[in-house]
Order: sequence, then C-alpha cells, then structure tokens
Amino acid sequence: MGYRISVDSGGTFTDVIVADIEGGHTVGKSLTTPDRIWNGMRGAMENAADLLSISFIDLLQQTDILIYGTTRSTNAIVQNKVAKTALLTTEGFPDTLVLKEGGKFRPHDLNMVYPEPYIPRSHTFEITERVSSEGEVTVKLDATQTREILAILLKRNFEAVAVCFLWSIANPENELEMAQLLDECLPGMPYTLSHQLVPIIREYRRASATAIDASLKPLMQEHLREMNNDLRAAGYENEILVSTSVGGCLHVEELIERPIHTVKCGPAMAPVAGLTYSQMENMGQDVIICDTGGTTFDVSLVRDGQLKFTRETWLGGQYTGHLLGISSVDVRSIGAGGGSIAWIDDGGLMRVGPHSAGADPGPACYGNGGDEPTVTDAATVLGYLDPNFFLGGRMRLDVEASRRVTGRIAAQIEQSIEDTAFAICNLANELMIKAIHEITVSEGFDPRECTLVAGGGAAGLNIMPIAREVGCERIILPKVASALSASGMQFSDIVTERTISSVTVSDRFNFDAVNGALLKIDEDLRLFAKGLEGEGREKFKIEFFVEARYQSQVWELDVPLPVERFNNQSDVDALIEAFHQVHGRVFAIRDEGSHVECINWKGILTVQLLHPNIHTTKITETSMGKPVSTRTAFFGDGGVETPIYRELQKGAQIKGPAIIEEPTTTIVIYPGMSARVSGGNNFILEL
Amino acid sequence: MTVEESNSKQDLDPVLTAVLANRLDGIVREMSNTMLRSARSAVINSARDFSCSIVTAENDLLASAEGLPVHIFGSNLQAASMCDLHTDLAEGDAYLHNDPYLGNTHPADHTILVPVFHDGEHMFTVCAKAHQADIGNSAPTTYHPAAKDVYEEGSLIFPCVRVERDYQQNNDIVRMCRSRIRVPNQWQGDFLAGIGSARIGERRLKEFCEKYGRDTIRIFIDQWFDYSERRMVQAIKNMPKAQMINHGAHDPFEPLLPDGIPIKVIINVDPDEAVIDIDLRDNIDCVDCGFNESEACATSNVVAGVFNCLGADVPNNAGSMRRIRVHLRENCVVGIPRFPHSCSVATTNVADRLVNITQSAFAQLGEGYGIAQGGASMGGGNAVVSGADFRRDGELYINQMFLGSGGGPATPQNDGWVTYGIPVVSGLMYRDSVEVDELKHPIEVKSLRLVSGGGGAGKFRGAPGAEVIYGSKKDVMTVACPCDGQHNPPEGVRGGEHGQKASTYKISRNGDREKLPNVIQMDFMPGELLMAIDNGGGGYGNPLERDTDRVLHDVRENWESLERARDVYGVVITGTIDGENLAVNQGATDKLRAQMATQ
Repeated sequence: MGYRISVDSGGTFTDVIVADIEGGHTVGKSLTTPDRIWNGMRGAMENAADLLSISFIDLLQQTDILIYGTTRSTNAIVQNKVAKTALLTTEGFPDTLVLKEGGKFRPHDLNMVYPEPYIPRSHTFEITERVSSEGEVTVKLDATQTREILAILLKRNFEAVAVCFLWSIANPENELEMAQLLDECLPGMPYTLSHQLVPIIREYRRASATAIDASLKPLMQEHLREMNNDLRAAGYENEILVSTSVGGCLHVEELIERPIHTVKCGPAMAPVAGLTYSQMENMGQDVIICDTGGTTFDVSLVRDGQLKFTRETWLGGQYTGHLLGISSVDVRSIGAGGGSIAWIDDGGLMRVGPHSAGADPGPACYGNGGDEPTVTDAATVLGYLDPNFFLGGRMRLDVEASRRVTGRIAAQIEQSIEDTAFAICNLANELMIKAIHEITVSEGFDPRECTLVAGGGAAGLNIMPIAREVGCERIILPKVASALSASGMQFSDIVTERTISSVTVSDRFNFDAVNGALLKIDEDLRLFAKGLEGEGREKFKIEFFVEARYQSQVWELDVPLPVERFNNQSDVDALIEAFHQVHGRVFAIRDEGSHVECINWKGILTVQLLHPNIHTTKITETSMGKPVSTRTAFFGDGGVETPIYRELQKGAQIKGPAIIEEPTTTIVIYPGMSARVSGGNNFILEL
Repeated sequence: MTVEESNSKQDLDPVLTAVLANRLDGIVREMSNTMLRSARSAVINSARDFSCSIVTAENDLLASAEGLPVHIFGSNLQAASMCDLHTDLAEGDAYLHNDPYLGNTHPADHTILVPVFHDGEHMFTVCAKAHQADIGNSAPTTYHPAAKDVYEEGSLIFPCVRVERDYQQNNDIVRMCRSRIRVPNQWQGDFLAGIGSARIGERRLKEFCEKYGRDTIRIFIDQWFDYSERRMVQAIKNMPKAQMINHGAHDPFEPLLPDGIPIKVIINVDPDEAVIDIDLRDNIDCVDCGFNESEACATSNVVAGVFNCLGADVPNNAGSMRRIRVHLRENCVVGIPRFPHSCSVATTNVADRLVNITQSAFAQLGEGYGIAQGGASMGGGNAVVSGADFRRDGELYINQMFLGSGGGPATPQNDGWVTYGIPVVSGLMYRDSVEVDELKHPIEVKSLRLVSGGGGAGKFRGAPGAEVIYGSKKDVMTVACPCDGQHNPPEGVRGGEHGQKASTYKISRNGDREKLPNVIQMDFMPGELLMAIDNGGGGYGNPLERDTDRVLHDVRENWESLERARDVYGVVITGTIDGENLAVNQGATDKLRAQMATQ
C-alpha cells in the first residue's frame, strides 16, 4: 500500500494530508486558487511532498487513492453564483420556493427582509399536468404548451432546468415525459428530476433540493472534470474519489450526476475524523466534534459510532436560507468565531455577535482596517496569541490595535482592558456552549458521556473552558486539528443512500408496499456496490432506516430498522418499540397507545475502504515538557507569567497555565488544567 | 428598597448576568422544541400555537423565548392562581389550567404549570401552554364564535387543577378529558407533550439552581429585571411625547353583530417618565358571543403591538413590563370579561385587531415610527375541514389546515414579511405541505399562489396574501372558518394603502362563483371548490416615494403588475419578462410621479 492523499479545497486555504505507510500524517497547505483549483491543490501537495522529502511526481506515482473535497458548491450557492436555472412546476403552484415551509425567528421583529427564493419567480414556469396523491395522472402533461415553454428557455439562455411536479414520487410519468421533451428540444441541457434526486414527500424540500442540484450541474460538472483531468495530466493514475455531505465519498461520475451531494461535504467530514481519533485514543464511540473557524463554529455528533443525519440542513440560515432537502450529516453552525464583534447595548450589557468582522477586514489586530473589538483581539490582549508566530509566523498581529479597540468598550463598562477581554472570550464561549447543548442535551444525549474532539485553527484557544462547562472530561485536539476535514477524508468510506417514500401506519401496516420499497432500495444499492471496481471492495454493509413519527405528528425521527423485511406482526411490533425508544430519548415521552406513521424508507450502503495505518506508540516514559520562553497571559485573575511550548514530543506532559504553539494552531492550557501528547501524537487535554 | 440595602447588595458581574440570561433562554427553547416536535395536533406542531415560559416564585414573568406574541403575558397570572389555590404546592406537582377567568388566554389553550423546587424552596414555575385541537366544546371547533356564554360554548374548564402529584399522573382527570374531548388520543398526545415540555424545563432549572446557587439566582433575577427595564426606558425615551387615539373594527358577524365590534385604543407615550400608557376602557361591553377578550389576551395583544414598534431586541419580561401600563375595564369586550361571557375566540380575530390598531397607532408619532397593519384573515386556506375519508374505509377526519397566509405589514424600512399569517402568530407558524394535506385529507388542492398586487402599496409595501383553491375528491366536506378582514382590510399608515380584503368563494361545478360570508361553517359537495383569498398587509408611506428598483423587482417577480406599477406607484416600466429587458423609464416615471403628486 502506498500513499493516500486527501485534499480539502476551502474558500481560503487548500489543506492536503498525505498518509504514509508508517502511519504518519503530513499536512500541506496552500492558498486556494479559485480560477484553476489545480494550482492551489498542486501547491499544497508540493508543500506536503517537501515535508516528506520526496518529489511531487514520486508522491503522485506512489499514491493509491486520492480523495477530493471542495467548498466550491457551497460557496456558489451562498454567493448566488450558480447557473441560470429554470424551475418547471405544476400549474397553479408557482410560489413553492417563495413560501417555503414558513417559520421565522424573533416574533416582534417585523423589519426583517423576506428572503429571495432560490429560483426567482421570473425563472419559474407552470406546466399543465397533475398527478393525484393516489398516484393517478389526473392531467396528462400538455406537450404543446411544454414545447412552447422550452422554446422560451432556449431563447432566454437558461443553463440548467429543475423539474419538480406534485406527487411525482407517487407516479413519475409526467416528470419522465418532461425529460423526454427536454432531451428532444434542448439537447445537452443539464436537468434534474425531483423524483429521481430526492423521492420524498413535501414539495418544498423536494423542489429546493432539485433546484439546487440542477443549478450546480454546469459549474460542478466542469469543476470536477477539470480537477480530474489536471490530476491525470500530472501523472496520477489511480483512484479518485470525491467527498460528500453524508461523510462518505463517491466517484467523480456519480457526483457529476448529482452535484448537490458535494454541498457541505467539508463539515460532514469532521465527525468522521472525530470518531477516528476518539477510537485511536480508546475514548469511546460517543463523540462531540467542534470545528472552530474564523466566522463559524460547527458542532456535530457521533453516537455509538454512528454519524447523525438530518434533512433539515439550511444554507444561509434556518427559514431565511435554502433547505438542502437531502439527508446529510447533522452539523449545527453558529456565526461565532474569532471575528465575532463585542459591543455594549443600551442597557449596559456586554454582547458578542451576531455581527462579525469576517475575514475582511477581520479583527483589528490583522491590521486590515478592522476597528471593532473581536474575539481574536480579546485573545491577543490576553496574551494567548504570539503576535510574531500567528499562523506559524505568516502574519504579524498588531497588539496595540487590539488593546485600543478593546479599551474602548472597557471604558464603557469601567473595567480593565484585560478583564474586558476575558469577558469577551467568556461570552463567545457561551454561544458555543449553547450550540453544543442544542445538538446534545436537546436531543437526549448527555455531553458528559462524550469525548470532545476539537478542530479548526482557533479551537485550542477556548476548548478547555467550553469542555468544563458542558461537562466533557475527555478532550482530544489532534495534531492535524487545523485540517480536520481533510483528516476525516482519510478515514471515510464509499457511502451512498437511496430513499423511497411509502407512507403507512402501524395499525394497518402495508407489508407489500414497504417490503417492495426495501427490496428496491436493497437491489439498487447492491447493484451500485457491484459496480465498484477494485480489490477489497466485496465487503459492504447496508443499513435500513425509516423516517417515522407518532400518528398526526409532523416531524419525523430517524429510526434504524430492527428487521430487514417485515414478515409478520411481531416485526412491526419491533419497529414500534424501536420508535418508542427513540421518541422517549429525544422527547422524554413514550406514547404507548399511539400508532406509528412511517414516511420515508432509507438504505445506506457503506463500502469500506482500506484506511491508513494508525500508528500509536505505547508511551513508556513521560517527561515534563520544556518551555521555549514565557510571556504574560491573563486568565481572569491578573497577569501570569506563562510558559510557552513548541514542538512537543510524544509522552510530554504540561501543567497549566501554559500555551502550546503549533505552526497552525495554538492551545491555551488554563491554570489548574493540563495536557499531554499521546502515543498517537495527539494532544489530550485534561481539566 | 433603602439606599443602604441597594449599596450593600452584591452586584453580579455583567458577564455572569449575560451567561445566566442565556442559559434561561436555552431552557425555554428546549421546552419549546419538545412541545413543537412531539405534539399531535397541527395547530401546535404546524401553526406553533403554543408557548413556554418561566415565571419566578413571586409570579413575575422571567423568560419566554420565541413565544407566540398572543401568549407573552398571562402565564404570570396563571402561576399566581396556582400559588393562591394550592397552599400544599410540592415538588412533583403539575397543574392543568385553561380558565380564562383565572389568567388563561382562552379555554382551548391548555396550560401545564409545574412548580420548580430547589432544596425544598419554590424557585420558579414553568408554563407550557398549547392550543388543543379539541376541548369538548358543544360544537366541533375550539373557536366557537356563536357561543352566547360559557355554557353554550361547553368547554371542559380546569381552574388550575392538579394533574400530577409526586410525578404520578392523576388518571381521574385524564379519564374526564378522554370521555369528553373529541379524538381523545390526539388530546392525550398533546397533553403528554405539554407535561414533557414542562418536566424538561423543571429538570434544567433544577440543574441551573444546583450550579449557581439560590443567592446568585436571586440577585440575577433582580438585575435582569432592572436591565430589561433600562432597555425599555431607553426605547421609550427615543419617542416623542404624544397621545395617540386609534380606531378600528372587527368585521360584522351576522346576525349577532351587524356592525362588527368597534375598537378604540388610547395610547400615551411619556418619554420623560419613560412610560407607555394604554387605555382600553372606552370600548363596548362584553358581547353575547365568543369574541370577548380574556384579561390575558387584552393585555398581551396591546403589549405585542408595542413590542412590534420597539425593535426586536428589548427582552419581554416583568422588568420591561414595568414601563407599560394597560388600563382595562370589567365587563368590556377588550378588557376583563364578566362571567359567563365566552372568550372562545379570544386569541385571534379581536386579538389580531388589537395588535394591528396598537402598532399602527405609533405611526402617528411621525416618519420612522410604528408599522402598518398586518393581514388579519384566518380564511378558507386555514379552515378546519372535516368529513369521511373514502380511502380509509370512511374513517372520519377533522383538522385545521395551514395553506393560506395573510401578508405582513410594511415597516418604516422594509416590505412586509410574506408568510406572516395573522398578527398574533407574526410569521412564526409553519405552513402545511400541499402533498401532506392531500395525503391526510381526501381533498385536492387546485392551486396555491400569492396574489399579485395584493399587498398594500407604499414606500414600503405590505406583503400579498395567498389565494388557495381546493375541494373534496369524493364525498361531502365540511369547512369552518371565522375569517376577519373581509369588510375592514388591514390599514396602511403614513400614506400607505390598505392591503387587499380577504374573501371566500364557492365555485360550483359549472364554474360559477358565489361570494360567501366571512364566518362560515358549510358543506362542499365533490366537484365544488372553495376559493379563499387572504389579506395583504398594509403599506407604509407614499407609494410615489417607493424606490423604482423595488417596483421593477416587484413587477419582475409578480408581486405587482405593470399596470399597478404605473397607476399606483407612478413607475413606467418597459420591456417584458420573456424579453429579459424589463427596465424603468426614468424620464417618463419622473414626469408621471410629479403629475400624480399634484392630484
């Protein structure tokens, strides 16, 4: 087995991790080059090759597998840089994407701007057709009218088409006929049919997913093909995989068909990494993963070794953004990070966020014109960041600027600058603590039983006080924390899923329809598995789930199926009991008397890939780490002369107060807490 | 409090105050999430007609994150009644309260109250209030507009009755409800959701007390109320001193109220004293039907109208409430009801009018103040439908759908929120999926669209309402809705126009349209269709001052027609959508606007 490369092409940086045979993981970084993604990718790989002391060509030729992840599709959606896409909808229902599913935050704020739909009304066309909820074509698709509309699409230079008709999931006839007409009238036009992409009930989420997928096709098809071709041209001959929003990966050809699955694939990989590190350190299968960026804080969860999925992923905020509609890893993002701005409201209370200085102008200490006190400025004031060693010395921090802007609000609340800075950090932590609570406690998981894995460049600054508040006693900060997503790709498998909507109630369970759906899902997934070439790919597993609820509830819960097929009443009873258990855990209530309504049936296929070796040494000797210098830092109680550590070796132990400086991350060990470097070369933080 | 005490009192540092407030907010959110996701009836899990709150042991409202505006104030009155009525209050108790004469909103809102103890001391009361799908009324609806009094209304009333002791359910009460309430399983599911929500709140508050200790929490409560009051003081000091008198009326309700219900709100803003004073006493006596406000609703809805004008960020609790005085009169339709008058429809209709009349009154203060009136129709798109389902061996169905939507009011800075609903829900509600409604009921929805030009014109435009057409597939279907806003539409302010009137039609098999009264309960045969149009929101400011790019965008996106752009906004637009060349003819527009301004 040779090298294994993962590439995470982000908005600013491209991270590369090269796993070698000995179990070493080498991080390479480079600036992302949006015009030609290959340049940044090559730069980061060359960076890693240098560190490994081999040539770039040798690296490519000795690599067995390369996994590529990109934020390109996510960014294109958020920045509205997708293709000009037409939505073809059932006549009489032109406002599905405008009305969404309702809902709003802040009841007394009527001054919010109502969001624009993902596809404007002027790009939406009503087609004469209708299928009933019983699956009967009550109005045949009007081919004459359709041809006229397609002629308009051609004239208006549309670049992609999304087709979402009511009840196409019950009978796809009209959507399929639309596909024929599209092929005939607009040959080569990329399009997506809703019943093929996401066969789930609820027209808004299906339309939203379909619209997003279609709008990404021109862009992502070109992007993935170009990446593929550049890699081949550079001499790479082995397998290429692309990471997806379920924390797995797929081949380029499959994602060219369904590019929506590349959306948010980066954050989806963080829990894969988290689980790996927790297992590596023998810290169990229940893991909370926190990924701290400059502007967002992402939290995800692994329970019993299983990733948590959701259909409620919004791009651009709940209610105001666009619902992804597909099942994806449940990652809660809050707009809190190093760039969040602190301010004093007119009642005299200090607040942090929701405004952010973002990456540009960024915190005041970046010296790019930022003039508001941010969390990063507070960390600078407190002495947590070395102004000369930020990002390994790539950027100098302006301490005076941080003190100036922090001093401004310190004067307002009549506190010292340092106490104010400490308060800013505490309040920022508070937002993150709440986000962790929402994905754990609110869903019936006890964070005290979980291991916390922290990633992202800024994670080490505050992860210890956050862990103390939520009650996590086991904390891992991997050496590759700053490239958590790329790290997750190293340990990901080929994952794909199929869903069929077949609504049935437990007291009149439709055995034939459900078993039919499960059989279809099973066959589809087995066929997919068979199509994967390569050795060691025979081993796969298929897990089945149902999205179900108590009768007349409207929100479903994911329940693993206790049986593969339903043969008799006792199989149904087992399903009912499984549902009661999930409902009891999440909502503290079991309603034994209620029937269970099953909505969508889902199969997830996992084809295990060979993962890189994980090399851990048994630590036989421990030693106290040796500081390289000291500086004054503040922990809420006056200045403390704090030792600084760099390049710590396995087995090293450190007592707080202390600061560990790595090229891409800084870890603050608060007084009374400690840290050690494990045999797996990770930082284990102890409260 | 004496000066010495105030000086000796240990202040919490501002960070700890913010942290504790944030924790309480998180607890209410967790309670709300439990209620929303586990409740059965659509009115809770879709329309979000519920609210959760935390009240102090002194019965002051402390926290109510994201609650429905109509529910904001009142849980304090209910908690007080719990303390008054039950001297043996103990850990493990839970109470069911739906008595509008004891602080509840209206009988359909079943409230679960749980006292929270720490070391044997009553520290908080958590309240989980939710609108039930049925409450055992004499008619199959929780809104009973025609009810002459509470006896005709016929609801089971629980004047703060103990339903759990030592965490054990009192099955007597549950059996009483099950033998009287329609679809008892649905009620019991919602009852359990309420208990679950309150118990989750209790669990978290006990951890909260454990962590921070009694003394810190006591100081925090005082400081948090003081802080909230300061925020309110600041907000009021930014307003000019003025008296505003505003009128409005609920639509006629034949034959009982041929003139509808006139409503008058008198508001005095006093920035010097930092007080807003609202007087509702000069209104008619209680009416012999279900439209009377309860004390909680009368108060909540004018207060909601005030909060809608303050900016989003002032905490709503007993502290900020110190600065709002509401004067109510006994035996008044918008005051303190006199027994046995019915408050069956207290949370919508007249309640929506109170919100609207109050928030639009503030526009009298000048440019930049107040907001317009929002869509107030709860029309055929949000009707209760019932009948038999041929697809399930004739099984009976009854449910409120949420397909319609009134348009939101324009504000001094923005156009109205589209999925606003009605003033008392203020956009919080979720919408039904057409597919889910067709699956659950034997109906077919023919169309669902926003009405172009339905929003009240203005410098900022009200949002348009929805138009929904649907009918039964095979058997007769009964439709009930107490729609308002058909005679008196939501008004615009400061030169803004009113939003479109709501209307309901029956479309017969041959396509003929028949206009229906605003309040209906009637049968539709298969092949007959119901067409419901909801209110648009009112506009804010002169339409001739609307930014021309906004008008262009409105035309492109079908919010407005080319004709209305010209005739109402004075904006001349050339080109076509299919030509992708829509553009404002600036010269012609300037000329037309100048000409219209002089008319």
